[in-house]
Amino acid sequence: MHATARAALRSVVGPGHFRETDGELVPYSRDATPLFQARPDAVVFPADTAEVGAVLDIATRYAVPVIPRGAGSNLCAATVASRGGIVLVLTRLNRILEIAPAELLARVQPGVTSATLAEAASRDGLLWAPDPGSRTVATVGGTIATNAGGLRGLKYGVTRDYVLGLEAVLPTGEVIRTGGRLHKDVAGYDLTRLLTGSEGTLAVITEATLALRPAPTTTGTGIAYFSDLAAAGRAVTAIIAAGILPATLEFLDRSCIRAVEDFARLGLRTDAGALLLFGDDGESDAVAHALERMSDVCTAHHALDVTTAAEVAQAEALLAARRCALPALSRLGELTILEDATVPRPRIAEMVDRIDAIGARHGVTIATFGHAGDGNLHPTCVVKSQDDTDTVTRAERAFAEIFAAAIDLGGTITGEHGVGAAKLPYLSTQLGADQIDLLRRLKTAFDPAGILNPGKLGS
Amino acid sequence: MTDHPGVPLPKPVFDPDLLSRCISCGFCLPACPTYAETGDEASSPRGRINLMRALQNGDLAPDDPTLKEQSSQCLGCRACEPVCPAGVEYGQLLEQWRDHQWRGRRMPVLARALMLAAGRRVPFRLLGRLRGTPRTTVVETSALASGGASLMLGCFERVLFPRVGRAALALVPGLTVPASQSCCGALHAHNGDTATGERLAHRMGEDLPGTIVTTSGGCAAHLASVLGRARVRELSDHLATGSAYRPLGELRVDGRRARVALQDSCHLRNGLGVRTAPRDLLAEIAHYVELPSAGTCCGAAGTYSLLRPRESRRILTTKIDEVEAAGVDFVAAVNPGCLRQLRTGLRRRRSQVKAVHLAELLLMAGESRFPVA
Repeated sequence: MHATARAALRSVVGPGHFRETDGELVPYSRDATPLFQARPDAVVFPADTAEVGAVLDIATRYAVPVIPRGAGSNLCAATVASRGGIVLVLTRLNRILEIAPAELLARVQPGVTSATLAEAASRDGLLWAPDPGSRTVATVGGTIATNAGGLRGLKYGVTRDYVLGLEAVLPTGEVIRTGGRLHKDVAGYDLTRLLTGSEGTLAVITEATLALRPAPTTTGTGIAYFSDLAAAGRAVTAIIAAGILPATLEFLDRSCIRAVEDFARLGLRTDAGALLLFGDDGESDAVAHALERMSDVCTAHHALDVTTAAEVAQAEALLAARRCALPALSRLGELTILEDATVPRPRIAEMVDRIDAIGARHGVTIATFGHAGDGNLHPTCVVKSQDDTDTVTRAERAFAEIFAAAIDLGGTITGEHGVGAAKLPYLSTQLGADQIDLLRRLKTAFDPAGILNPGKLGS
Repeated sequence: MTDHPGVPLPKPVFDPDLLSRCISCGFCLPACPTYAETGDEASSPRGRINLMRALQNGDLAPDDPTLKEQSSQCLGCRACEPVCPAGVEYGQLLEQWRDHQWRGRRMPVLARALMLAAGRRVPFRLLGRLRGTPRTTVVETSALASGGASLMLGCFERVLFPRVGRAALALVPGLTVPASQSCCGALHAHNGDTATGERLAHRMGEDLPGTIVTTSGGCAAHLASVLGRARVRELSDHLATGSAYRPLGELRVDGRRARVALQDSCHLRNGLGVRTAPRDLLAEIAHYVELPSAGTCCGAAGTYSLLRPRESRRILTTKIDEVEAAGVDFVAAVNPGCLRQLRTGLRRRRSQVKAVHLAELLLMAGESRFPVA
């Protein structure tokens, strides 16, 4: 990067918020995605929307890529500087600007973490529903940019269902405000939704207006054990078919149960083949009734054991343990390659069987956990040694087949983690040439110079 | 993009198995006090591990200034460990990092001087005697066979806070106090000399028969990492679960039950997982008040308060604000470093709150007497 560009960036954000030496750049060379790493040329920490605009202006002038970044907890290499450039870290914009109980909304800067917003909302008796596993780390900006899902997707939907409006800086320098405080607003194309999940390729989000919900008064959670994951999958399909729409339906296979238990020590049954975590929230009678009905369905579908956690603390611990499934799996080996294939709800047991068969065919161990209620699976291949390139290659082949199987069953290559650099090669298989072409034209309309997060969506 | 085809160092700095555990999920970020302070990934456990990897792989020059700065800016509080689902042993990695980074002349002079002093037996014994450290006892080898417990006096603790050892002995009269004991080596292990750290821990293991009881959480964690968890008990852990001791009496202030908070010892909490023992003991003798950040480092962090006084003081200021706001009479410590740090902060603030070691508070309650400040 040109020396004058560096000087210009430094003067915009101030020397204390500019990084350029090798050691300073190393920590920004990767996010939470394994196998993707690239050192940027500089890192900047802007203080406000104006500074974001000024950084983009410099980047345009010197034709340098800009990679917007929150906490770097995404799992699709969306924030890796694949083509070098400037990593634009938005964590200094970390204020909750407003919580308006009367309107059931919050206005926040992008660097606030999901958990911080949820806590602030709960003080007003409100719920910030999007609940990604990384909620304590992930920023709201990143959650929006990846349209993150999480553990409450089945009943509450995903991030896109809660974004009312955005302030964003276009790579060409203009600041736009999309949507607003209204739940009903059909003026113009829905740019709010377009930017949600755009993975930092179209604009830099600098403020968000978000919908909150009244917090439920009661939460209840139960656990059912099954002989294998497919059996748990059949119970899940039956629960939804019975007209129950619970807040939580998460499952773990045997390897995942053991890894989670090893970390969280909750007394989970490690001899079972699968665990289904089910739960609901709302009025206490309704919650009790839903738990009872789900317990009955599980029992009817050959659950080995069904228990319902009486205390809220225990329910929270179970959910917290579930959120840790991925990192806990890394206890089993040096490298965990995780995927995000998602299928229509009734086909979940079928997909589980296919994953098992694919794993066996390629001689790799695949542990699976996921948001069963959403058909959202996280098959994870744990490789003992990073240097075992043979196993890594076989794992990659297995995952290519898993993607194909998901599409074959009417599903998607990614339910919630995003495309980023990690899944871009597979995107055209799912979307087809015409749609990929349209994506590129949209990208060009927003970012004619192609400076925003190149090598990702729209590239 | 710049390519960095690294040439790995001839001798690895880090145990590769420890280094490969981290999958960069970032769950540690909210737990890290220095990340909270700076907001810079480089000051987070995940960022530091990526720096360690770059050093190990040769992707960064060994004299890179960020390596130097981050290996020393880290408090070493290990708050990242209990929240890490992958089970990364960050404390071990940091010791290996400093061992490399601070080798030879690059070690901070102050740390070197302290370590030189602490490694010797005689001066501490003499100083300790002047300050009234508990009388040592001659240990017969049979004590070891009978599985008895002995009290470690601590190199600096016996000089700075001799009352703590005396209180511990009064609470558990059966403890033997071997004369031949110096430093457990925690100081060395945390400051870039892991070899001496290990050697001194082994020597302590030979000098002290049976279970080693210590009033210092930091020493306990270091000794346990070298001698094994079964050999070592921090005092509150020993009192609550390892002995027949039951708290007696009540701490009273102005005719009412005293209000007492606790500052966790980071290594006791994060390294050994001892959290409830000191709280349970305090709740028996006083009205226990949990500080919002009881489990977060007070900024003492071993030699940190001496090596990086400005940052240490900033962390301490927040802590003292909290102690003052909690409306307590005492704040209990279970580690001499924390005790010194809290006393410094409270004195500077002219606070009415007193920082006292847990052992002394238990003894005061049992004897129903007021503390001497």
